[in-house]
Amino acid sequence: MRPGFSPRGDRGGRGGRGGFGDRGGRGGFGDRGGRGGFRGGRGSFRSPEGGGFRGRGGGRGAPRGGRGGRGGFGAGRKALVEPHRHEGVFISRGKEDALVTRNMVVGESVYGEKRISVEEGETKIEYRAWNPFRSKLAAAILGGVDQIHIKPGSKVMYLGAASGTTVSHVSDIVGPEGLVYAVEFSHRSGRDLLNVAKKRTNIIPIIEDARHPHKYRMLVGMVDVIFADVAQPDQTRIVALNAHNFLKNGGHFVISIKANCIDSTAAPEAVFASEVKKMSSENMKPQEQLTLEPYERDHAVVVGIYRPPSKQKK
Amino acid sequence: MSSFRKALKSRQRNHHERSQPVARKHLGLLEKKKDYKLRADDYHKKKNTISALRKKALDKNPDEFYFNMINSKLQDGVHVATKATDEVEVTEEQKKMMRTQDIRYVEMKRVAEVKKIERMKAELHLLDADSKQKNHHTFFVDSKKEVESFNLATHLNTVPELVDRVYNRPTLETLETKSVHGPSRNRVVQKFARQRKNQYKILSQRIDREKKLFVISQKIQTRKDLQDKTHKVKVKRETTNSAAIYKFETKRKR
Repeated sequence: MRPGFSPRGDRGGRGGRGGFGDRGGRGGFGDRGGRGGFRGGRGSFRSPEGGGFRGRGGGRGAPRGGRGGRGGFGAGRKALVEPHRHEGVFISRGKEDALVTRNMVVGESVYGEKRISVEEGETKIEYRAWNPFRSKLAAAILGGVDQIHIKPGSKVMYLGAASGTTVSHVSDIVGPEGLVYAVEFSHRSGRDLLNVAKKRTNIIPIIEDARHPHKYRMLVGMVDVIFADVAQPDQTRIVALNAHNFLKNGGHFVISIKANCIDSTAAPEAVFASEVKKMSSENMKPQEQLTLEPYERDHAVVVGIYRPPSKQKK
Repeated sequence: MSSFRKALKSRQRNHHERSQPVARKHLGLLEKKKDYKLRADDYHKKKNTISALRKKALDKNPDEFYFNMINSKLQDGVHVATKATDEVEVTEEQKKMMRTQDIRYVEMKRVAEVKKIERMKAELHLLDADSKQKNHHTFFVDSKKEVESFNLATHLNTVPELVDRVYNRPTLETLETKSVHGPSRNRVVQKFARQRKNQYKILSQRIDREKKLFVISQKIQTRKDLQDKTHKVKVKRETTNSAAIYKFETKRKR
């Protein structure tokens, strides 16, 4: 027995908390765990009208408790889920206050995010929280962006996929009919991306430099949307290159711009303006621009259309 | 033999000092030995101090220099320091913490707090923040005419009431076709709101605590750095929520 492990064993032994599977997983913080026990008690008290809260919690308790620390909002936790403006995105309003997507791989968290499941009659639907402090796209959605153009069934090219945290949510949104081509240059984060793609069949991971689209042209078909979060000084050029190769006419692009990465000396507004200008010269017509406060500083998301269809004269 | 004497003592009657006789009652309580001892000790201590001081004054070297000669002056017969002493801006709480805790401990606590904040932020997305919208939303349109006739609600294809609800402005189709999932009873919704409010309160407390711990760790670190013998100049004074800033002489290290 290693001494370092003894407190954990002790925690497991308490059992009272573990019984409510949803809370047992969060044993990490003492105070909250304690409260969890209390709530659980109330839940069971109300079970006649609450709709089998207890039964659910008990059934899931065992597998979840084992994970320790991970897991989450929990299976038994109740919440209101309202549909969002953007199809495939939801807002959960329970004890938490979170942007969520419907989990395509039920029972799996990708990066330790919280999950929440809501019972609809017989079926259970699981949602995953989408952290706007980590994802630019989530920040843009909560900031009130008009269109993200990513919706169920669409084909998305995601440049700068990193570890695949946001990609997993995009894959949730597009669903089994859609496709996400996730391009990432770094092998290290590419490894995590591959692991995400193993579980989600609609993600096609591409570990290549987005500056050279010809290297992966054999893998990629025409796409409806390009999302770019590459944080490179020449990112507009990178997006334009990929758009010329893979984006359909009248397709859309969503670019996240970090002002510091383009020009750290100029004012952010000036940087955004110059980027928007560059886009216009590449046949990419910007439609809206949104800064990402309070989630990110000096970031903006630009949404636009590629080769817009010429206007019909009336 | 001594043990015999001790054994005898156990049988001895305890000595009791007598109290004031009735005839002398008008003189007040009779002083006991232990009271006398206190009084006498105090008297002798004072006497010794005075005589020591007197001796010191007699032995004083009139040519000797003391910094207090130039740093203080007499004011109404009292010595007052002319230079204000550098009073340190440390709150009582900080002082206590700094004295008792090691910097590593403070840092460990702070990191734990940061982690907890992050975890809470992952599910509390500040949707109902009261403050006004901080971000800027720009729409690009083709002509001046469109700018003049621009209406946010129609452009976003939503109802005017929802325009300010930035985090979710459902489109008209969404409003017609989709519905909210989950319990709809008023009591449950109110309970959710209460719990959410509580969670936000906890979050803000944690953020406060993290800030305080950061200040403490910075102050301890500065004190540690000051023990270094290199020449340094104070640039900024210490305040309640920031450590003092010193400029250290640059020295080439081999």
